[in-house]
Amino acid sequence: MTEPLLSVQDLHVHFLAEPADGRGAGAVRAVDGVSFDLAAGQALAIVGETGSGKTSIGRALLGLHPPGSTWGSIRLAGLELVGSAEAEWRPLRWRRIAMAVQSAGTAFDPVYRIGEQIAEPMREHLGLPADEAATRAGALARRVGLEARHLRAYPHQLSGGEKQRAMLAMALSCEPEVLIVDEPTSGQDVLSRAQLLDLLRQVRVETGLCLILISHDLAAAAQVAERVAVLYAGKLVEVGTAREVLEQPRHPYTWGLLNAYPNMTTARDLRGIRGHSPDPSDPPSGCRFHPRCTQAVDLCRQAKPPLVEIGGRLIACHLGGLQTLLQASDLRKAFSSNGKGEVVTAVRGVSLEVYEGEVVALVGETGSGKTTLGRLLVGLLDADSGHVVFEGQDLAALNGRERKALRRRIQFVAQDPFDAISPRLTVAAIVREPLDVQRFGSVPERAKKVRDALRAVGLPAEPPFLERRAHELSGGQLQRVAIARALVLDPKMIVADEPVSMLDASEQAKVINLLKEVQSERGMGLLLVSHDLALVRKVADRILVMRQGQVVEGGPASRVVTRPQHEYTHALLQAAPALGWEVGQV
Amino acid sequence: MRARITSYLVTLWVVLTLNFLLPRLLPGDPLAALLDPQSSDYVFDAEVRAALEACYGLDRPLLVQYGAYLRGAVTGDLGQSIRLNEPVGELLTGHLPWTLLLTGSALGLASLVGLLGGAEAAWRRGSAADRLLTAVSVVTSNAPVYFLGMMLLIVFGAELGWFPLAGGRTPFSHYDSIPAATADVVKHLVLPALTLTLSLLGIQFLLVRNNMVAILGEDFMLVARAKGLKPARLKWRHALRNTLLPFVAHLAAQAGLAITGAVFIETLFQYPGMGRLIFEAVGARDYPVIQGVFLLVAIVVLTANLLADWLNTRLDPRLAEEVSR
Amino acid sequence: MSTLSRMSLRIRVRPLRSASAPGVETTLGAVVVVLFALVALAAPLLAPYDPHAFSGQPLERPSPAHPLGTNDAGQDILSELLYGARISLAAGLGAALGTVALGLLVGAIAGYAGGPLDLLLMRLVDVMLTLPRLPFLILLAAFLGSGLVQTMTIISLLFWPATARVIRAQVQSQRQRGYVRMARNFGAGTGYVLRRHILPSIAPLIAFGLVAAAGRAVAMEAGLAFLGLGDPTAKSWGLMMRFALNLPGLLLTDRWLWWLLPPGLCITLLILALSYLGMGLEERWQPRLRRR
Repeated sequence: MTEPLLSVQDLHVHFLAEPADGRGAGAVRAVDGVSFDLAAGQALAIVGETGSGKTSIGRALLGLHPPGSTWGSIRLAGLELVGSAEAEWRPLRWRRIAMAVQSAGTAFDPVYRIGEQIAEPMREHLGLPADEAATRAGALARRVGLEARHLRAYPHQLSGGEKQRAMLAMALSCEPEVLIVDEPTSGQDVLSRAQLLDLLRQVRVETGLCLILISHDLAAAAQVAERVAVLYAGKLVEVGTAREVLEQPRHPYTWGLLNAYPNMTTARDLRGIRGHSPDPSDPPSGCRFHPRCTQAVDLCRQAKPPLVEIGGRLIACHLGGLQTLLQASDLRKAFSSNGKGEVVTAVRGVSLEVYEGEVVALVGETGSGKTTLGRLLVGLLDADSGHVVFEGQDLAALNGRERKALRRRIQFVAQDPFDAISPRLTVAAIVREPLDVQRFGSVPERAKKVRDALRAVGLPAEPPFLERRAHELSGGQLQRVAIARALVLDPKMIVADEPVSMLDASEQAKVINLLKEVQSERGMGLLLVSHDLALVRKVADRILVMRQGQVVEGGPASRVVTRPQHEYTHALLQAAPALGWEVGQV
Repeated sequence: MRARITSYLVTLWVVLTLNFLLPRLLPGDPLAALLDPQSSDYVFDAEVRAALEACYGLDRPLLVQYGAYLRGAVTGDLGQSIRLNEPVGELLTGHLPWTLLLTGSALGLASLVGLLGGAEAAWRRGSAADRLLTAVSVVTSNAPVYFLGMMLLIVFGAELGWFPLAGGRTPFSHYDSIPAATADVVKHLVLPALTLTLSLLGIQFLLVRNNMVAILGEDFMLVARAKGLKPARLKWRHALRNTLLPFVAHLAAQAGLAITGAVFIETLFQYPGMGRLIFEAVGARDYPVIQGVFLLVAIVVLTANLLADWLNTRLDPRLAEEVSR
Repeated sequence: MSTLSRMSLRIRVRPLRSASAPGVETTLGAVVVVLFALVALAAPLLAPYDPHAFSGQPLERPSPAHPLGTNDAGQDILSELLYGARISLAAGLGAALGTVALGLLVGAIAGYAGGPLDLLLMRLVDVMLTLPRLPFLILLAAFLGSGLVQTMTIISLLFWPATARVIRAQVQSQRQRGYVRMARNFGAGTGYVLRRHILPSIAPLIAFGLVAAAGRAVAMEAGLAFLGLGDPTAKSWGLMMRFALNLPGLLLTDRWLWWLLPPGLCITLLILALSYLGMGLEERWQPRLRRR
């Protein structure tokens, strides 16, 4: 393989923070050890939130940071750029690496005409006479969809979108080998955003240049670049092909970012990442994402995870990315029914995974085997063959004590709370039961856990309510009590079997949202067994469709709902309750 | 531009009216002002006063007086100096060139040095030279101009004897040639002009420096740098060019400051300009002259304002468009 | 607002804080101002003579009896100098209060009322700012007469427009802030909005404006006295310089050293101190926008 056109190794950009608020100056670690290679003609999207350091990377590639603030290595076709003097940088800038900056609105000198400013680098670097530079500026302008009158205009006379285009024309003026485009779509309306992305794609095809797209816009990244690098607090956390990273994120941060990103193709609600972006002058120890990560372990707090290749992409995570909480392989279960020796096979060879923080919906009609599967997964039933592995432990291989310990980590919420809750016990006793069974802590500690769990599900935690019994509660309240009971041991995974099917529509919505909220906040895995596709698509990340004991279709919720592959899924969608015309036409 | 000219005409009218009304509104009547009770020729006699009033037209209705005043102002008839018994208009035209020479040379020099020095300081912001120049500028722009003048006068006039202590040219001298005359005028000009330059320079320097520092932080400067332009081009063609806008906008205010400075400097150096004229008029309570100087200076400053505004519309395309709209 | 006034808002004359430790100049300025104030208060205790008394021969050179010699009337120059601090500070304080009061009144009314009244007042401010300041001052002084109160009045009449413009801009921007609109949304009246949101936001401007106006007023008072437009009986620094310079041939002897230089230095020092204090206050209350 030939040497990449652009090779960035262990790039650091640290600034001295201005002591604006009177505190001592501290180093802001804008970029902290970033590496990537780019071959000629490739496109890479660097994606991250505001303050993740993505703009600093772009500026470092042009040597625009103050001397001494950048180290590491940037090689352009074998030429080392880091440490070059300003005079050595100057001929490279724009000629070989050009940048369309984020704020095109203020990127033009207000006192010169747009055309002059586009021509300026050509006169500087290519030594073109004024008239020739002007001619070429005209050609460039046409290429990005501007007219001659735009070139005669002053910056304040152009709209934001026109300035973005002019910026692009200016960046292309010296036919650079590498083009950096910083947030081309920020502040643009949807239509001009789409046009601009089209333009970028077209420019790539026509010029064959190497493109670095810097953006917080995940969709833009996917549309323009083949590869995506996700940046968090100055460090790359995941690098892979755009399709892989955006469809099956593996790093917990990428996963969170995607969940927070509005997307037209899914009906699911948006979910922010818990916590806040770190202070770049005082980043967290170890893995910088650990304070916000639901699966963080002690190692994450202590050591920085290296960016290593896992399954064809690069991931910086001690745990190798999102953890597989629950994995089932080739599960089979048959019942001998009605005592006549007739065998009903409920589950025929099902394999599935549930990742950390993921909501998987298992959808099917009555008798599809989904309830049996759910019980197999939590060990309430033993499989005839196949394995269930939870957090790396094979359920079948556990002894009694180990199984009991496992119960703390995985919980089950049953369909019918009236059935699952003893009518004789008080609310406090019901919720406390798992603690009593597990002999958890002291009596006051248990009482506190009970109150916390009740509050988490939005129920009162005061004496009159604690003393109530099942028959005094509504269905919704009862199911909440059941969920509180499941939560009281702080499990890592909940399997909920039709948790809302017995409830009224309004109660359904509240309880399902509650489950989602609790799951999201605690970073649990949630397997939702349901017959109601319309309901689960509101909360599920992935949907598995089950029929006659087999999973017939599975994938991201948005795809299963909008582009079902299997005719059975299609039928389910058709049958889903719809108010008038709405869902039936999807 | 038309709107702006109108606004200046309005200001001019306000100045004229103030000039007319002040003596009539303030305590005592214009005659009391004309003939100060403390002065020796104060008129006690009611009859003489009435005669004087008739002479100055003060017995006529206010509006008629106003009309006559405006007509006089337009035709250049600003009345008679009480002290010198000369027409105020002639006095003004005799003194104006000296003041224009003084303020013009000082403004020009201060602008040139302020622009170049301020630009360099901004370019090397944070350097020792920048900090020193900034600190010195704060001092010179705050020190009273007459104090600066005194110091220069003492050092270069009295102690070193390089320049004359007073006057606009050597008294009772006759020049053989134009160069000799010019040399004499320049010799007398140096210290007053230097004083005024120093006083204006501090403000000019800080203005250029601080605005250019702000401009250097603008996005378009980052882009210009990213475009690989030569430092000289960045500094002069982009940064200083944009700094010119606030600089020119402030030039009009500078003209006002220069006039203020000139009043003190001409008093201190006994320089024969408008400042000296108004100073002497104040001493002698020569109100027509004071009013005349105020009017003329106001016109000069207003013209400077208008010029600066016009210049800025030429320099800033954003303003140019606003004007044409 | 005219282009000129809009342009001037973009102009930054004050030096941006360099990398040096914050507030050294500010502290120094405050110390000097306080020292001058103490001297002014304690002048009768500190001064060896009554400044009006003819305590020696005319034009005595410095001696133990007269550390800075005597003036042409035989009055003690050191005593004159010490009492002069009273005039300068009184003029500074009085004129600053007058300036800020007028500026606050006009600025707040214009900013809060908006509409035609705002337009009218701001036109007046524009006109006032275009007028040549010192000649106008001389004109006013000539007709109003001399005296400390007149001087303070004249300076206030002349300097208020700059303050008014700053106050108005602040009031106007506050009035359009989201939280003020929300307060109105909650049913708050004008009084509440003024008290709770607008006044607190202009309080620092008032403090800074007072110091800035005091600096300019001190300079102007001395200047007027220097030109002979001040109170001829008050022992001010400007008047001392005027009398000193009136002595023929002053500069040809070394007499200027103890007669002219001390008041000149005092006035310069006081103005500089006020100016540094003002810059420090402004920076403290209006910190620069943090760098992107």
